[in-house]
Amino acid sequence: MNNTVKSPKRHMGLARSRAISNTVIHIVLVIISIIWLIPFVFILLQSFRCESAYQVGYVVPQQWGFDNYVSLWNSNFPKWYLNTFIIALVNAVAQTVIVLCMSYALSRFRFKLRKALMRFMLVLGFFPGMLTMIILYRVLKDIGLTQAHAVPGLILVYIASSGMGYYVSKGFFDTLPKSLDEAARVDGATRFQILRKIILPLSKPIVIYTILTAFMAPWGDFVFARYISFENSAGMNVAVGMYNWLNLDQITTKYTMFCAGGVIVAVPVTILFLCLQKYYVEGVTGGAVKG
Amino acid sequence: MASVVLKGVKKIYGGNVVAVHDFDLEIKDKEFVVFVGPSGCGKSTTLRMIAGLEDISDGTVEIDGEVVNDLQPKDRNIAMVFQNYALYPHMTVYDNIAFSLRLQKMPEDVIYDKVTNAAEILGITDYLTRKPRALSGGQRQRVAIGRAMVRDSKVFLMDEPLSNLDAKLRNQMRAEIILLRQKLNTTFIYVTHDQTEAMTLGDRIVIMKDGYIKQVGTPTEVFEMPDNLFVAEFIGAPKMNIMKTGLVREGDKYYVTPFGARIEVTGEKGARLAEKGVGSREILLGVRPEHIVLGKEGENSIPCVLEVNEMMGSELHLHVYTEDGTRLIVRVPTVDLDEGDRRDLVQGKKLFITFAGKVMHFFDPVSEENLLV
Amino acid sequence: MKKYSDLEYLKLTKWQKFLYKLKMFFVGIPRAIKNGVFAIGRFFKNLIFGIGGFFKNLCLTFVRGDWKTKVSYVIMGFGNLMRGQILRGIMFLAFEGVFIFYMITTGGYWLSKLPTLGTVGPHEEYNAVLDAYTMAYGDNSFKILLYGVLTIFFIIAFAYTWYANIKQNKTAEEILKSGKKLKSGKQDLHSMVDDQFHKTLLALPMTGILVFTVLPIVFMILVAFTNYDGAHDGYNNSLFQWVGLDNFKTMLSWSGTGGHSYAATFGEILTWTLIWAFFATFTNYFLGMFVAMMINKKGIRVKKLWRTILVMTIAIPQFISLLYVSKMFAKNGLINLFLLNAKWINQAIPFWEDPTLARVMVIVINIWIGIPYLMLIATGILMNIPQDLYESSRIDGANAWQQYRKITLPYMLFVTGPYLLTQFIGNMNNFNVIYLLTGGAPTNASASWASGSVGHTDLLITWLFKITTGAESKYYLASVIGILVFAVVAVIALIVYNVLPSIKNEEDFQ
Repeated sequence: MNNTVKSPKRHMGLARSRAISNTVIHIVLVIISIIWLIPFVFILLQSFRCESAYQVGYVVPQQWGFDNYVSLWNSNFPKWYLNTFIIALVNAVAQTVIVLCMSYALSRFRFKLRKALMRFMLVLGFFPGMLTMIILYRVLKDIGLTQAHAVPGLILVYIASSGMGYYVSKGFFDTLPKSLDEAARVDGATRFQILRKIILPLSKPIVIYTILTAFMAPWGDFVFARYISFENSAGMNVAVGMYNWLNLDQITTKYTMFCAGGVIVAVPVTILFLCLQKYYVEGVTGGAVKG
Repeated sequence: MASVVLKGVKKIYGGNVVAVHDFDLEIKDKEFVVFVGPSGCGKSTTLRMIAGLEDISDGTVEIDGEVVNDLQPKDRNIAMVFQNYALYPHMTVYDNIAFSLRLQKMPEDVIYDKVTNAAEILGITDYLTRKPRALSGGQRQRVAIGRAMVRDSKVFLMDEPLSNLDAKLRNQMRAEIILLRQKLNTTFIYVTHDQTEAMTLGDRIVIMKDGYIKQVGTPTEVFEMPDNLFVAEFIGAPKMNIMKTGLVREGDKYYVTPFGARIEVTGEKGARLAEKGVGSREILLGVRPEHIVLGKEGENSIPCVLEVNEMMGSELHLHVYTEDGTRLIVRVPTVDLDEGDRRDLVQGKKLFITFAGKVMHFFDPVSEENLLV
Repeated sequence: MKKYSDLEYLKLTKWQKFLYKLKMFFVGIPRAIKNGVFAIGRFFKNLIFGIGGFFKNLCLTFVRGDWKTKVSYVIMGFGNLMRGQILRGIMFLAFEGVFIFYMITTGGYWLSKLPTLGTVGPHEEYNAVLDAYTMAYGDNSFKILLYGVLTIFFIIAFAYTWYANIKQNKTAEEILKSGKKLKSGKQDLHSMVDDQFHKTLLALPMTGILVFTVLPIVFMILVAFTNYDGAHDGYNNSLFQWVGLDNFKTMLSWSGTGGHSYAATFGEILTWTLIWAFFATFTNYFLGMFVAMMINKKGIRVKKLWRTILVMTIAIPQFISLLYVSKMFAKNGLINLFLLNAKWINQAIPFWEDPTLARVMVIVINIWIGIPYLMLIATGILMNIPQDLYESSRIDGANAWQQYRKITLPYMLFVTGPYLLTQFIGNMNNFNVIYLLTGGAPTNASASWASGSVGHTDLLITWLFKITTGAESKYYLASVIGILVFAVVAVIALIVYNVLPSIKNEEDFQ
């Protein structure tokens, strides 16, 4: 008897406690979303502020306008933007080709030095990459690819070392069944034909992931770009150029311009990213799980 | 339409792990040979060496009289069906089957005829425009076979093609492979771990264990005269009962003495024992479950206790144990028992079993070889 | 000491089990050492025998080979040419030609200068035309070191090719003897897209890595043994020389000028680097997992929206978000101004001026940056955990916390073990976050004597950067730091790889 009376009550209790915990979680998620979005909303609002170019104690502009965007247009910013865009575009194509070559070879072929090669590259990654900058700068300077001509120099450096980033796509290739290759080999395909006709059509997510990350990386690269452009405005990318605006001597006049530049840089990249988000998620999760 | 000859073929992994030891086999033109054995016995590795998907560590493989060791799979003129079908997921059924023909640069109208013809034979014409993921397991298997069929190759290799199918479909596909074989009329090498498949499909069966061939023979040969204990236990279901016992020679007559019983070896088996001059000794006695019958107490019967009674429909599988705990299986056709007897067969019931003298197999307890071979 | 059987072990209490394991560990040490010593011995034995066998083979091939093979020892590709493999022959020959030409024209010069790194520095020279002393430049240490290393690379490549040439001659001879045909040039080309396709695929990427990563790293390792810096730039100001282990001694010595020492400074920065890497990795890891679990929970609405909001922050280049946030918390930044205007505080909060506060801030802001990635990864993995594990544990009576402790966390740790390691190493070298947020500030007065200004939030990597860009540009010190960072990372990686379950028992969760 006791049981039959109790059980509906217990049921109600379970449902209620779940409802409470879900409400709490919803609230937490809203708070998290606000924290994560707030700086970007602030940047956006401040980019339209006209009354003062420096930091102020409020967020919503008192005078709205496009002044900052206009002065952005008249500064070196378009040049930097173009530089970065060219780098990103070339990098996206070339790096994808190289990474795919590398990871396909390491995933599908069993050659003598394969394990040694992979271990070697792992160990190579333990060295702080920054060290190589010193020498690369001097070498690039000797062949004239620094300062004003930093763009081709940067592209060269990015592409040349991109083979090291094969982990994620190799992890993806590893998940495609090997019997597909074997069936194709029996069917008479060469290894090249297998790559072109079987593997690549099946690798759309990872190809898009690689293109996306290769395209996005140059927008954020700061240290290398700064080293190679070496204070020469014509060779800077957006990160290096805009960094200077926040230096002590410029921040008082360029702060809102920085915000406007940030908006111009972030909006296209973010839209592209959100469109291809699905593939990015696949790549990140796959890559991390495979290690 | 070719013979396949393997001479001393070896597979060694990483310098010291031997997966296949000196594999010698001659497969005649148009023969259907089945490699069978438990997993890890080297049967798939051997097949893959014939296909060219694994390097051959030592020895030679000849197809149609030509040594193919150094040839790529595509140059060996073989077709292969994989265990997990290995269909190209991004291509339609038609494109899957046409893939190898297109690589050969065959004209599209010829390809069309060949593909539709193969699809007709396999009954997959309706699915030609679908992608593999929209097909059931059986249909995928048919596409995989179709892909191999259109290549008109000399040798047809199949690597556990039915093991991913459910039991019912497997029986059906087995029958279809027999029909297919009649239509294609080419050399088949078929790998499986299922002895039923091996028995029903093969002209000859190659039974392997730990990289060694344990026996090669027709289904009848391996069933009736297993070379060794392993083959005896592997072929036939439920598996053969093995009893450690004595063989007694009295003049020209032989007796076995399992668990106090005394049964005379009769027929050809007795004659063969005498021919070989076998004396009284310890042996492992093998008797298949279907050869054991229920009997009455007596000199030639073994007392035992019923542990489990499995009703299989047309027959009963009785799991019994003898006085020293040896477990035996007895297969009793249901028709041989009347209602009352059957109901009587409950756990704990004392039974007496016996078997005829001509159905026994004798193995050496140490070498596990058949004494009569 | 007595070894328990499995059944006996299971009967022990938790505490006894722990003690037993501990004992077994110490008991096992001598054997581990013995095994290690033997392994090293075996390695050297194999190495010596291997080298011996290699040269023996080389000689035997020469003695037993036909005259075509013998000539190939001197003229590479000769055997190939004579045996009809024109393409291979020409390639070998051309490579040999290029090598000899290079060594005679330039390679020899660089190599001969390498031991001294140049002897003639910049000096004044009498110029007859101008009738005055003008600056004349001599050797270039930088180039000598760079091209010297390059030449050594080239020699290694040549030796390898030469050996390949010998080996090919040997196999070609054997193939011809057994009555088979050699591969034609056309077949060779075809195999480049078929069975040798991996070589084609790897050629370009590996060349890139070799020239732009390996070569610079070798160069920089060598720099650690020179006095290359701003004053000794190797050409314009002064040559630089080999100084042996001096730089390492400086860096690792505890006695320095005025009570300071490099070792102390290095230790201080290394400690903070490790603390930072630990917190940056694990706060992100657990909070990211937590957020993922919240979003994944049954009954949570608009899951996709929450995820998209977080993921969006990945898209925005870090230099924008980090620089902006850095300025937001500055003394005269948005937060402080707002709080001052609202009269909630009287004085600006020293977010970046107080050492402890700055360190905490860096870690907290890094959480803001890092959670979205971890959320994505954790979501992917959480979805892969078989649901029946949770169902069976619920039937066994586990509550939410126990489920997390016993199922979710072990599974996550197992799957993401290698990722955690790379994250940790990545955070040790996380230049962007520190440099863009604080630039290393606030200044650490007691450490700043060494080179440039060293801050409380400086990591080894930002310290290294500052050393190379400062007025003195002590490249040799940067190089030493780089090598030490490598050593630290390698040790951590070795330890982790040896205890990581995903590497030890690969099948546990499959």
